[in-house]
Amino acid sequence: MSDLRIINIEKQYPQTKQQKDPAFSLQPVALTIKEGEFFSLLGPSGCGKTTLLKLVAGLMPADKGEIWVGDDHLTAVAPEARRFAMVFQQSLLFPHMTVEDNVAFGLKMQKIGKRERLADAQSMLEHVGLSGYGSRFPDELSGGQQQRVALARALVAKPRVLLMDEPFSALDPSLREEMRELLRGVQKEFHVTVLFVTHDREEAFYLSDRIGVMSEGKLLQIGKPKEIYEQPANVKVASFLGLKNIIEGRVINNRFVSNDQSFEVPVQTSIKTGPSVMIIRPETIRLVPDNIVKNLQCLYFRGVIQQKIFNHGFYSVKVQAGEYLLTCSFTSQEAENMKVGQTIDLMMNNGDLRFLNE
Amino acid sequence: MWQKTRPYLLLLPAIGTIVLLFFGGLFDGLLKSLGYFPALGETRFEMTAYTNLFQSSEFWESLILTFRVAALSSVFAAVLGAAITVSLFMLKESSKSGASQVWHRLFQLPLTIPHLVGGYIIVLLFMQSGFLSKILASAGLIDEITDFPVLVNDPFGWGIILTYAWKEAPFVSLMIYPVLSRIHRSWRDVARVYGAGSWNFIREIVLPVMLPAWTIATFIVFVFTFSAFEVPFLLGVTYPSMLPVYSYQLYTSGTLADRPEALAVNIILAALTILLGLVVYYFSKRWNVLKGWD
Repeated sequence: MSDLRIINIEKQYPQTKQQKDPAFSLQPVALTIKEGEFFSLLGPSGCGKTTLLKLVAGLMPADKGEIWVGDDHLTAVAPEARRFAMVFQQSLLFPHMTVEDNVAFGLKMQKIGKRERLADAQSMLEHVGLSGYGSRFPDELSGGQQQRVALARALVAKPRVLLMDEPFSALDPSLREEMRELLRGVQKEFHVTVLFVTHDREEAFYLSDRIGVMSEGKLLQIGKPKEIYEQPANVKVASFLGLKNIIEGRVINNRFVSNDQSFEVPVQTSIKTGPSVMIIRPETIRLVPDNIVKNLQCLYFRGVIQQKIFNHGFYSVKVQAGEYLLTCSFTSQEAENMKVGQTIDLMMNNGDLRFLNE
Repeated sequence: MWQKTRPYLLLLPAIGTIVLLFFGGLFDGLLKSLGYFPALGETRFEMTAYTNLFQSSEFWESLILTFRVAALSSVFAAVLGAAITVSLFMLKESSKSGASQVWHRLFQLPLTIPHLVGGYIIVLLFMQSGFLSKILASAGLIDEITDFPVLVNDPFGWGIILTYAWKEAPFVSLMIYPVLSRIHRSWRDVARVYGAGSWNFIREIVLPVMLPAWTIATFIVFVFTFSAFEVPFLLGVTYPSMLPVYSYQLYTSGTLADRPEALAVNIILAALTILLGLVVYYFSKRWNVLKGWD
């Protein structure tokens, strides 16, 4: 198996005289990406995603650690000999070469004959929906088409690993969706191992088999999209994933009590006594139906509606509960009669709550 | 109306001066080369000067020497200039310190030195009793300074070629360096990831990018050396002399009868320059060198 193994790789940038803050450093990262897997590094700008990608590509020397693909130790191998491919934020096509020559560039460097490499380039251009564009120059293409060419250039060389550095961030939203579809399709078709860097949660969740969440040079959590969304390892991951309902409190005698004491819930024994947080996912909050018999498996609370906004087919409603302003997600039907200032009764299953020790 | 004509009127003094001095001089030279010399009472147009020139072996030898010196000077200057530029570019790409800036300025130094002074430097360095031959003799590499090859005032024109190669290489470099700055920093990364080492990067990306400016710079050097006077006058031999020197020799020979021939040489030089310009333009179009950059 040609898995990509990143073993405790780390990088410390030199401190510059102008900067007062300490220089950025990438903490040791250990990660195995399976052959044919689509793995995304998700994190805010400046968290070290691109640094990690460049270290894997060999474009930057690592201070410590190793990179392996299958049985090949690549740490000291020059980037040109790694047989990787990379797609950058901008298409970075060579303007003096035709689209076809751009796509065939990697094959030319591998000393593949002209006829064969141009045939491969044309076939790959067909895969990305650009057949017939081969003889054009990059400046005759739109931004989206240029990025398709960049993708074709990356795939045609049959790379061991395809590295992608926020490749769709410069495109407008509709094009971005189109490119996501295309990438998903070709990745499955060619069974290529992808290491994808993005700060766009939606993009990472849509495309990835697994996601690694990064922040401030650290890899905080690795998991399948559903896992990390439902069970974030810590508050940073939760807040980066957009989970806004984070309630601070303490765990005492296996019960979580919020700081304002408006929430009290039993917790599993694995949660230690002491300062903790409770994370409530917006879509798990429901309206309490009439004539319900309350049970211990659910948490019930009352709140006042502060805001109601229509958002992509559902309503995002902000409810003041105790000291906390909680974001809830309701269907149009549920939210139909809700008004700002109205008091509502809400509930959720205790099993949908996530508790973390601080 | 005033708004429309104003820019042209403002440009008129400059354009007038250029037309009068450049085209006027050229036109006057053309008339005189055709034998039109009212001061001597010659008001007929005839091709005698041109036929005389084309029949003289001195002219053809001079033309061949001029072509050879201009071609070799341009090729050496072009290769040297490109090598300097590519080295500076790669140095800048690989190092973050200001070292490349220092080197850049150092290589531009010959630009500030006048051609005549450049010629003297070559004389002092490369003549048989010059600096280099004395060093080689002191080091024991040659027995006598007369063993040092004749590189100055030699019939082949090595002294002139050396001067122009040294003097024009920074010019070529100055012309193509800004073009290389169009190369995106990340292209190096792209090329490397796709398997291109430094040499492939230069061959596939750097050279094609600089080719248009390089061609033009080399052509300018060629045209300049083709019609330059002072260095061939200083470093050349009396026979065969380069065309501009030959023209000067004819013009100052003491007889007015040679002047149409002297001016005909200049007209031939101008005509050849225009012809070469057209050839270069045709090829640069044909090679598609500018495609994709606009």
